[in-house]
Amino acid sequence: MTSFVTATLIGVSLGAQYALLALGFTLIFGILGVVNFAHGGFYVLGGYAAYWFVSAAGLPYPLAVVLATLVTGILGYLFELLLIERLVDDHLATLMLTLGLYLMLSTGILITFGPESPLFEFPLNGTLRAGPFYFPIANLVVLAVCLLAILGVYALIFRTDLGRALRALADDRQVAAAQGLRPRLLFPLAFALACGLAGMTGALVTPILSLAPHVGDPVLATSFLIVILGGLGSIGGATVAAFLVGLVEAYSSVYLGGSKGALALFVLVLIILVVRPSGLFGRIAREA
Amino acid sequence: MSLLRRHAGEIATILVVAASLLIPRFTDDPLPISLANQILIAITAAFSVYLMLRMNLLTFAVPAFMAIGGYAAAIAGLQGGVTDAIALTALSFVAPAIVALPIGVLVLRLRGVYFVLVTFVLSEIVQLVLFETPQLTGGSNGLVGMPSTTAFGIELADNASVLVLTAAVALAAALVTALVTSLCRQHFAAIEENEPLAQSLGLVVWHYKVLGFVVAAGLAGMAGFSLVNMLLTAHPTSFGPGSSVNYIAYTIVGGRTSILGPVLGSALLVTLTNLFSNQGQYSQGLYGLLIVVVVLVARGGIVGTAMALVRRVGGLRPATAHLATGTAAPRGT
Amino acid sequence: MRGPKTIRAGAIAAIVALAAIAPARAACEVKFGALGPLSGPAAQWGLAVKGAAEFVAAEENAAGGLQVGQEKCRVTVTAFDAKYNAEGAAAGANYFVSQGVRFVIGPVGSPEMTGVKPIAARNNLLVMGDSFAKNAIGPQWPLVFHSGPGPSGWAPSIVDVAKQTYGIKSVVIVAPNDQGGTDIASVDAEAYRRHGVEPAEEYYQRGTSNFAAIAARIIARNPDAVDTASSPPGDAGVIVKQLRQAGYKGVLGRLGGSGTEEIARVAGGMDVLQNFYWYENVVVDERLKALGERYRQLVGAERPENTLFYPFVAATRMVTKAIAKAGTATDTKAVAAALRTLPVDDPDFGQGLWIGQDFYGINQELSFPFGIGLIVDGKPRPIAKHEAATGK
Repeated sequence: MTSFVTATLIGVSLGAQYALLALGFTLIFGILGVVNFAHGGFYVLGGYAAYWFVSAAGLPYPLAVVLATLVTGILGYLFELLLIERLVDDHLATLMLTLGLYLMLSTGILITFGPESPLFEFPLNGTLRAGPFYFPIANLVVLAVCLLAILGVYALIFRTDLGRALRALADDRQVAAAQGLRPRLLFPLAFALACGLAGMTGALVTPILSLAPHVGDPVLATSFLIVILGGLGSIGGATVAAFLVGLVEAYSSVYLGGSKGALALFVLVLIILVVRPSGLFGRIAREA
Repeated sequence: MSLLRRHAGEIATILVVAASLLIPRFTDDPLPISLANQILIAITAAFSVYLMLRMNLLTFAVPAFMAIGGYAAAIAGLQGGVTDAIALTALSFVAPAIVALPIGVLVLRLRGVYFVLVTFVLSEIVQLVLFETPQLTGGSNGLVGMPSTTAFGIELADNASVLVLTAAVALAAALVTALVTSLCRQHFAAIEENEPLAQSLGLVVWHYKVLGFVVAAGLAGMAGFSLVNMLLTAHPTSFGPGSSVNYIAYTIVGGRTSILGPVLGSALLVTLTNLFSNQGQYSQGLYGLLIVVVVLVARGGIVGTAMALVRRVGGLRPATAHLATGTAAPRGT
Repeated sequence: MRGPKTIRAGAIAAIVALAAIAPARAACEVKFGALGPLSGPAAQWGLAVKGAAEFVAAEENAAGGLQVGQEKCRVTVTAFDAKYNAEGAAAGANYFVSQGVRFVIGPVGSPEMTGVKPIAARNNLLVMGDSFAKNAIGPQWPLVFHSGPGPSGWAPSIVDVAKQTYGIKSVVIVAPNDQGGTDIASVDAEAYRRHGVEPAEEYYQRGTSNFAAIAARIIARNPDAVDTASSPPGDAGVIVKQLRQAGYKGVLGRLGGSGTEEIARVAGGMDVLQNFYWYENVVVDERLKALGERYRQLVGAERPENTLFYPFVAATRMVTKAIAKAGTATDTKAVAAALRTLPVDDPDFGQGLWIGQDFYGINQELSFPFGIGLIVDGKPRPIAKHEAATGK
């Protein structure tokens, strides 16, 4: 029983982290139809930017997180505007573009910051304890930020004009454009928002885990898994799927071990997709 | 003549791959031989991606089926003492094809990115299964010590004969790909253009998709065999899920509209990867830059751009020109 | 739609792509190839190997060149990114052969070693590599040497010290689920078992970034010690941090690669490590600090941070000595014969010996004095220099 509760708490922490990652990914995916291979790159960049603002510029950590979010967001904006926008209708070409960008980003980070992990600590390193149970305070912060971010994005998409425009573009670009919406203005904004979210996640999570040039590698696979499992472009679906994956990963790792646990998770995903071909909450399939 | 014209890409591909059989006659320098070996393996694997893209399906499962083909051949050599190149090549095609059949039946109902994810998950699963079955696959250490492959009783052990075998396997893969895409040209085109429409017009889409998937798995398996034969080892790191992106890149950078695309894309990217590898820590970044530049400059890949150039210079009729690039831009929102 | 022009264009492109790059050869030049992962998660190891080869080359050149027979030869280094996989290493070895390289410094890691050996054997390359794989070297590869011993060499001595210092009776060894993890963890486990410490092995999927669940699983076993073996330092740091968060109070250790400083950085300081024992491939004393200074002068950059740099400096120097002794830079069999009979002695690294007969069946493993690091109750002790491992 103790181990079950422990695993559940771990699963919730994992889920919060995954949900933050998947949020940006599903935005780009749902609105632009782009599989952003550079998503992990923005996560790492956010981590290193925050690290730089703290260690080199001497800024307090919360401010560094905000600045890291801005930096990655602006970079994402420029990237969409200058590169992706040219080929936004060709899914394979954008996949290749973002892959190329990811390789360049991580090389740049490797050359600038070196291969080894720097000292980058979360300012709150305490742990809440009750009997055999524990919850690191840092994870609580991530959980809170995660919930705020989900609410924020939800409000933005469903309560503002910008959100309505983005949703219209996601539903049918031709019709939306014919009605006067301008993808060329809105797409970079959506991309910036998503990359900013990835960067913020990096700034928050890398000091809790570790920061190194390659820590973005697994981000893509996880985000991809969650977004599809949740149903494309569905913010609620991605959130539920993120916590589901987090919990399954925690239970399977605790009870089966790291390697067999991963196998169990993947097989489960496979089964879910075969049984429910449009994901848990999805309605229509977007063509790749 | 029109048949020849329509199959020009296929014919060119088969001739180019067949010509590579002769490389050892001209040089015994290990660099070009090693490079040709890598390119031909890449081509064989990229055919798998190309075939799936004919049906508008993007696959990340190439390393998974490469592993099944490669390990099947390695196990046959180690435990069954099979060394005949033709038998091993056939096995490396058949084994992943058999595995792919039930999977295809199950997952080909999925469209678009859902299918992409399943293929992605398949690669992860195969990698973990390799680790969990050390008795059969050697686990994390892989399999080494296979007997040398033979062809008609002659041992193929030195650099040159390994290349000849790789080239022969690539040639077989090219023939299979050309055959399947030619026979199913209209059906695949119908699926690619508009699957629901094709379905409503009475095309049993599902049969052709399974056929394509099974053959694509077999092609990947052949590439796996060539890789194992070149390295003299079947090692899990050779089939990492991350490597799937490379085969996709070869196909897209080369051009997905013609079978010549995977050939040119593999040749270009593998050659440059080798050149970049002595640039130290810059190698990956240069590779990324290259992909970005090619994708931006050469829309429709190298083949698509070359055809656009040919069209501009040769002044082909617009109708034909449209056909050549019409499939280059995929639909979707 | 596809005219004959396509055929011609295709043929030309293929010929261009497959065209040979002619090897360049200078008058008297000894070429070393530095092979290792220069990008990706294992980049620090490859960069250390590259730095070591370049440093030794610079040393020789600063002294007027390497004596080969009657000539003084310039030593040059070509590096190749093997990407931590077998294909990359095989491609690198082929590249070296065509560039006239006869001596390979590196590769690092089991997959690369697996990939490089067949090519090296086919082309008579001398390889001075590092891999903790159980079959890294062997009688069937007479030209393949090991730059330093694997855990079979040093693990027993460190287990002994750890047992005496902390009184541990059980240990969980945690490592990634690939050859870089399993081949070390299983050898470590054997060393623990022989010293009466009950081992259990725990593998995680390479690429895992959050180890909270693994930590919970380890704690459920209630071990006296947790050994992070060859987990990359970044991973090991997170494992340590999350074990402590989960309330683990026991001893931690690392019988695998070095990187304790990086682990401490990620985990949040020496206090978090609290009680920690580890293998250090060298003891960085005054002489080695001076070596770092010399690197700066000769190469004009900071030395690679990873301490794998040091054993590779020692190993590369051994190769240059063997070339000088054999009087040839082309006959690698003669150089290998000279290398085997060279006394293992280096002004900077001390006296060592050739080992490996008992574990690999061939005496081609360089063994120099190594270090045992201990942190006891949060206080790091000076790293104890240990005699070169004998491999028995």
